[in-house]
Amino acid sequence: MNLNPEEIAHVLRKIVGDEYVFTDVFERIAYADTSLPYDVEETDLPDVVVHPSDAREISEILKYANANGIAVTTYGSGTSLIFGTKPKHRGISLSTERLKYFDIREDHQWFECGAGVKAGYAIDALGKLGYFLPIQTQAGSSIGGAVSVNTIGHLTDNVFGRPVNNVLALEVVLPTGEIIETGSECLRRSAGWDLARIFIGSEGVLGIITKVRMVLHPTPETVDAVGFFKSTEEIGRVIGLMYEKKLPLPMDGEFVGEKACKVGYEAYGLDFPEGALAVTRSMGWTKEEALRNANLLVDLFKSAGATDAFILEDETVRKQVWGVRENAMRWGQEKGLKGYLAIEVNPVLPRLPEAMKELVHITEGRKDLIGETSNYVYGHVGSDSLHCLFAFPYDWSTEKMKQVVDEIWNLEKDLQLKYGGVGGDWGWLPHRVPFYREKYGEVSYGIIKKMKQLFDPNNILNRGNVEGEV
Amino acid sequence: MEALRTEESIMEFLNNALISCEKCHLCNTVCPVCDPRVSQGPYGINRSIYYGLKWNQFTEKLRDLVYSCTTCGKCVVKCKGVSRALPLVEIIENARELLLVEKMLGPMPEQRNVLKNMHVRGNPWGNAPHERTDWAKGLDISSAASDTHVDVLYFVGCASSYDPQAQKIAKNLSNILKQAGVNFGILEKEVCSGHEARRMGETGLFQFLSEANMALFEQAGINHIVTGDPHSFYSFCNEYPFGNNGPKVQHYAHFLNELIDKGQLKLVSNVSKKVTYHDPCYLGRRSDVYDEPRKLIKTIPGVELVEMDKCREDSDCCGMGGGRMWMEPPETLVSSQAIANNRVRQALDTGAEILLTACPFCNITLNDAVKTLQKEDVIQVMDITELIVSAL
Repeated sequence: MNLNPEEIAHVLRKIVGDEYVFTDVFERIAYADTSLPYDVEETDLPDVVVHPSDAREISEILKYANANGIAVTTYGSGTSLIFGTKPKHRGISLSTERLKYFDIREDHQWFECGAGVKAGYAIDALGKLGYFLPIQTQAGSSIGGAVSVNTIGHLTDNVFGRPVNNVLALEVVLPTGEIIETGSECLRRSAGWDLARIFIGSEGVLGIITKVRMVLHPTPETVDAVGFFKSTEEIGRVIGLMYEKKLPLPMDGEFVGEKACKVGYEAYGLDFPEGALAVTRSMGWTKEEALRNANLLVDLFKSAGATDAFILEDETVRKQVWGVRENAMRWGQEKGLKGYLAIEVNPVLPRLPEAMKELVHITEGRKDLIGETSNYVYGHVGSDSLHCLFAFPYDWSTEKMKQVVDEIWNLEKDLQLKYGGVGGDWGWLPHRVPFYREKYGEVSYGIIKKMKQLFDPNNILNRGNVEGEV
Repeated sequence: MEALRTEESIMEFLNNALISCEKCHLCNTVCPVCDPRVSQGPYGINRSIYYGLKWNQFTEKLRDLVYSCTTCGKCVVKCKGVSRALPLVEIIENARELLLVEKMLGPMPEQRNVLKNMHVRGNPWGNAPHERTDWAKGLDISSAASDTHVDVLYFVGCASSYDPQAQKIAKNLSNILKQAGVNFGILEKEVCSGHEARRMGETGLFQFLSEANMALFEQAGINHIVTGDPHSFYSFCNEYPFGNNGPKVQHYAHFLNELIDKGQLKLVSNVSKKVTYHDPCYLGRRSDVYDEPRKLIKTIPGVELVEMDKCREDSDCCGMGGGRMWMEPPETLVSSQAIANNRVRQALDTGAEILLTACPFCNITLNDAVKTLQKEDVIQVMDITELIVSAL
């Protein structure tokens, strides 16, 4: 059914109020643009942006959209690196930003929040009471988005589990408008059927998560350490040894490749040894325990050939080392290469050094457009998320950028298949659909499509994502 | 003087700066204006400018977004720390210049009279120029002039000259300078520093006002300026084309510390108060002055300084910078009152009896917020100079 945007907006205003429905072009741009290197076109914009305040309003919106076959794309914070929030079929962009309810129940040992709460807010609020958010994502990410993708970076998931391990319950609005609650009010999660697990990680295509209840984790004591290595692949070998020797896993473990380190050291004026670096955050329930665990890693680094390794006691140096990691994405721009696209490769542990070496040299000798890019390698080593950023000039034409994006995504797919990886940080939909189909086959992909049809018979919610449209 | 900029050069600057946005949205996480829509924060504003240029869409909606920014610069710090170091405030200022000078869309309707007042009467409120020094009547303050040499020019600024509440800052600072035996004076014909005109994109008016003040400085042989207005301070240090032989410019936080260090200014009375300090954006983040106000506060006998959760580089804005003193954004954007209330709540969380600041704009705004929140019996807003006077 074709409805004009003003008709849609008129109905939505009745549901959420005039001030929470937007049709002007600048509001619609903000909810359509993504971190893809090329610009959105006017045809990529949603017709209407709506900001409901609760599950009841979302239910009314979805009932209306479902009855009229209007596409609804959910928007948490727009930080998706698989571009799930970009509307593929115009329609309605439904923002969860107003779902900001937040309640910490220490007596129950869980916290509950609206889907629109940002990770940064949750980290601060939990931190004040001595707890931490077991979802390591950037501060601007929404909790609803992170849970729907089941995302987590760094090593935390190997230590504290992923969102699926920490979520006790969800409130979800189905595409047909019903509001359901899943999970538990106690700390014991359900054995057997627990619908929460279906929605966590289904990337928002089966329903809109509106409320999340998660277990509280006391903030551990931490001590940071750094190791400098001649090459990135040496770090891969050390990580293998860390598991082999059964050392206490740090809650963060990051690495920065040689090229990104070089520009990072220059930017900060650091006199660190040439090569790559690994930085870790060891934890313990006392400072002594955390220090002991960090020293075990320093000893491991040294015994495995690190040119230097030490505990990051000096606050300035500690910030600089983490700064080199945090800024690894921007070194391309420092060199005048403003366009960029990053990939994620998750190799099986024994092949980590090999994968790292291949990524470091991935652009060399290539005849395709990837060969014209400059690459920087960094990532969450230990949880096996290697990132490679491809930087290129921004004056490339849109067609050329689209071509290099396709080449890079194909390369990511081939590397993941070669090294046995999955989408550890960013999920699958929409741009990794070809990878999913090749890795798991058509029967598996068909199950996802059937589940989508069961929950969303008119395919209104995040339409195009299961289909792999970017 | 700066060369006049063309529409093409402004658009080129904007496009080059905006094209490399990583779209990580981290700027939005620290923006006082962004609550809760992504379109309201620096990310949404910078995307609007970028596509406004690209699609030739210059509308009042774009103007409303561009003028909603307080220019506090918190997003700049964030972007520099973890992303691509975009000059986000410079982008806003250039976009405002483009909208005002080239597209005839800026400033906000309520700001038009403000700019006219600056031009015609030399101050944003439109008060009579001859009333500028009324606050100083009976205080025996010298007028700096070609025939009256002063060691220090106290540049009062418009708010402390005309606003009854901010006039206390002028009176208190003058009192302190007198106690310290400083040979200082004020300019009878001082005009607006032009800082806010520039923030609103009226670069021509800024140039006109800065030339007027510089001529007055030259006539009076000024080689040392002290001000209590961080906005003027910022413009003098960064935007006035003084060249290599310009006057030394200090915020009073610098100068009073020097006087105390030299023994010229003695704080002797005990002021038994728990205080917190709000970093004004144009003194802190924009001018990198964090330690001097704190050093000054700690010099006051009996004062206990407690920091707010968000302080120094991470300090939140009072909501009135960037021309917002004279406008209220459309209802769909965050109100200035909400921003100021948020900052006062942070101060209340510290348990301080006094919320100190070192800027007349912040002083006025935070005072209003305390009244709105009906917390006058819990916390007082003061300029640092007021506390110092009580310790003389």
